Amino acid sequence: MPDVQSHPLPSAAPTPRRRRRRGWHGLLYTLPALALVVVFFLIPLGMTVWMSLHNWPLLGNARWIGLANYTRLWNDASFWNALLFTAQYTIVSTIGLLGLALALALMVQHQGRATGLYRTVWFLPVVTGFASASLLWAWLSNVDAGLFSPLAQRIGLTEGRFNLLADFDTAFWSVTVMVVWKMAGFYMIILMSGLQAIPGDYQEAARIDGASALQRFLWITVPLIRQPFALALIMCVAGSMLAFDQFYIILNGGPRNQTVTAVYKIFNESFVSFRLGYGAALSVILLLILMVLSIIQLRLLRDRGES
Amino acid sequence: MSHAEAIQSTHHTAGLRLNRLHKSFKGDEVLHDINLDVEAGEFVVFVGPSGCGKSTLLRLIAGLEETTAGDIFIGDDDVTERDPSDRGIAMVFQTYALYPHMSVADNMGFGLRAARHPKQEIADKVNEAAQILHLTDLLQRRPSQLSGGQRQRVAIGRAIVRDPDVFLFDEPLSNLDAELRVEMRLEIARLHRQLGNTMIYVTHDQTEAMTLASRIVVLRAGCIEQVGTPADLYSDPDNVFVAGFIGSPAMNFFDAELVENGRLRLGEHTIAGPRLDNPPSAGTGVTLGIRPVHLQPVQGDVAGLQFRVEFIEYLGDNSCLHGALDNGARCRIEAPRGIAIRLGETLLVSAEVADMRLFDQQEQRLR
Repeated sequence: MPDVQSHPLPSAAPTPRRRRRRGWHGLLYTLPALALVVVFFLIPLGMTVWMSLHNWPLLGNARWIGLANYTRLWNDASFWNALLFTAQYTIVSTIGLLGLALALALMVQHQGRATGLYRTVWFLPVVTGFASASLLWAWLSNVDAGLFSPLAQRIGLTEGRFNLLADFDTAFWSVTVMVVWKMAGFYMIILMSGLQAIPGDYQEAARIDGASALQRFLWITVPLIRQPFALALIMCVAGSMLAFDQFYIILNGGPRNQTVTAVYKIFNESFVSFRLGYGAALSVILLLILMVLSIIQLRLLRDRGES
Repeated sequence: MSHAEAIQSTHHTAGLRLNRLHKSFKGDEVLHDINLDVEAGEFVVFVGPSGCGKSTLLRLIAGLEETTAGDIFIGDDDVTERDPSDRGIAMVFQTYALYPHMSVADNMGFGLRAARHPKQEIADKVNEAAQILHLTDLLQRRPSQLSGGQRQRVAIGRAIVRDPDVFLFDEPLSNLDAELRVEMRLEIARLHRQLGNTMIYVTHDQTEAMTLASRIVVLRAGCIEQVGTPADLYSDPDNVFVAGFIGSPAMNFFDAELVENGRLRLGEHTIAGPRLDNPPSAGTGVTLGIRPVHLQPVQGDVAGLQFRVEFIEYLGDNSCLHGALDNGARCRIEAPRGIAIRLGETLLVSAEVADMRLFDQQEQRLR
């Protein structure tokens, strides 16, 4: 084929082609999300930090006081008590929530008509709001008009009426049980998706290898749901550290102000005592604590050597 | 190989017997009355189209599925109701099923660790298996850091470490590319020769079956169609299905009619047919099977069939010609190199009587 020339002018430089720039397209698509983050997170965060450096009453002028709110906070026993109580609640509720969620997830991970029903039933409480669930629980726990106390008396568990909410221990456990009932379904879904992502072959290979059910769970299942478990753990710890509604609605911080959580304390300072600057400083400290906790959890649960 | 010998000397290989095996899923019977005897040390390949029940049969032997009815014997033991781990088997999965969070060494030693063997013993056995499979340098890697062929070898290594009576392979090469598949096929054949264990191997690839098996079990729709050596199945198939499934390119089938003196009528032509011990009466309709490689172009005044060439696949040493006979029947022939053939040309083709196979209307072989 002598007529065909693949290079008409061998010495000429190839035609330069303009590089298509598409970078700004990507920016355009992320702008709405970016705007939301800026308006509803970054700006309020900046304002909170700014407020925390002021004496900021509800009415009247704010006054710059530097780090005075933070030094005051350092010596505020009631805040540290609230944090201690929050930590206690976080530990108990996280163990309860993730333990129950994992057990439920193991039960409903396989396909089947009955498991579909169970999944729905266990997930249902999640779709009720925290406030409405708390109101329901407050009524159920009511010593006279509720369910638990009269029922316990009826079936002979207690002599007379027993007020669940009058004592710290029973009040604390009753709120924790409510939270576990309401939220376990949510973490069940996260862990279930993790379990379902483990190929069935691994379990079968381990069965042939002679691993017992417990060995398969500890050596195959647990390591392979590390990532969804880390997600559930971080969400659970963050959610519990920010607990407020249930203690406000069911217990009003009582008995004897023993169930005031960190956010409850911030609420009290900001919107009951109207010390907005001090409340902002408490918020900043809580945010820092949460960040540190999340980083520690991520490090502990990070995958080593894979991918 | 001293390592192979060391392993070989410690294990005893066992045969396998399936007795009237049935399997149903929710009332659907997928395996019907399977009977099979496998000698100790045999390499038996289950082959068949997808959905024929070959993988289910393997999983029944492994104990990963429960048997609906019938018995499974490994050696002299009835293992039908035993746990997978108590059957003396090891299995290599199609997906390899290597635990992604463990090193190669931990993967291979998993079974021994589960059985709480001493650490030193586990390390020794893993090292032995690693040397057989050339995995020694990879023992500390994770599965994700290995190539497909290396993962396959680790999966086989995990099976070897278990020192089983029977190896089970579930389509182990189907995730590999063509070149690697040939290489691993040879490696598995070599391994069988070294270890001498009974091996049961499932595949849908008849080439794999032909090259690896000492005996092939052809399955269709949950039934065994034929059991035999690769040569048996190729040259002496029991029915149309086996004749068409084994061999590539697949056998040609033509509708024909028996006429007197063992001759066959195809359309307008009458040709000599194979001699039958119990020939049906003249006028009976039969199916004539001839492999493409046995149908050859002939010259001159010879009895043959008219074949019109419609498509030519050039394969180097030979060409596969696709076309039709003059009675409209589809036909393929394998023509050797050196014969000039043009598209649209009509050839006279013929086959030796010894290469013809006849089947009755029920698709069973006439002998």
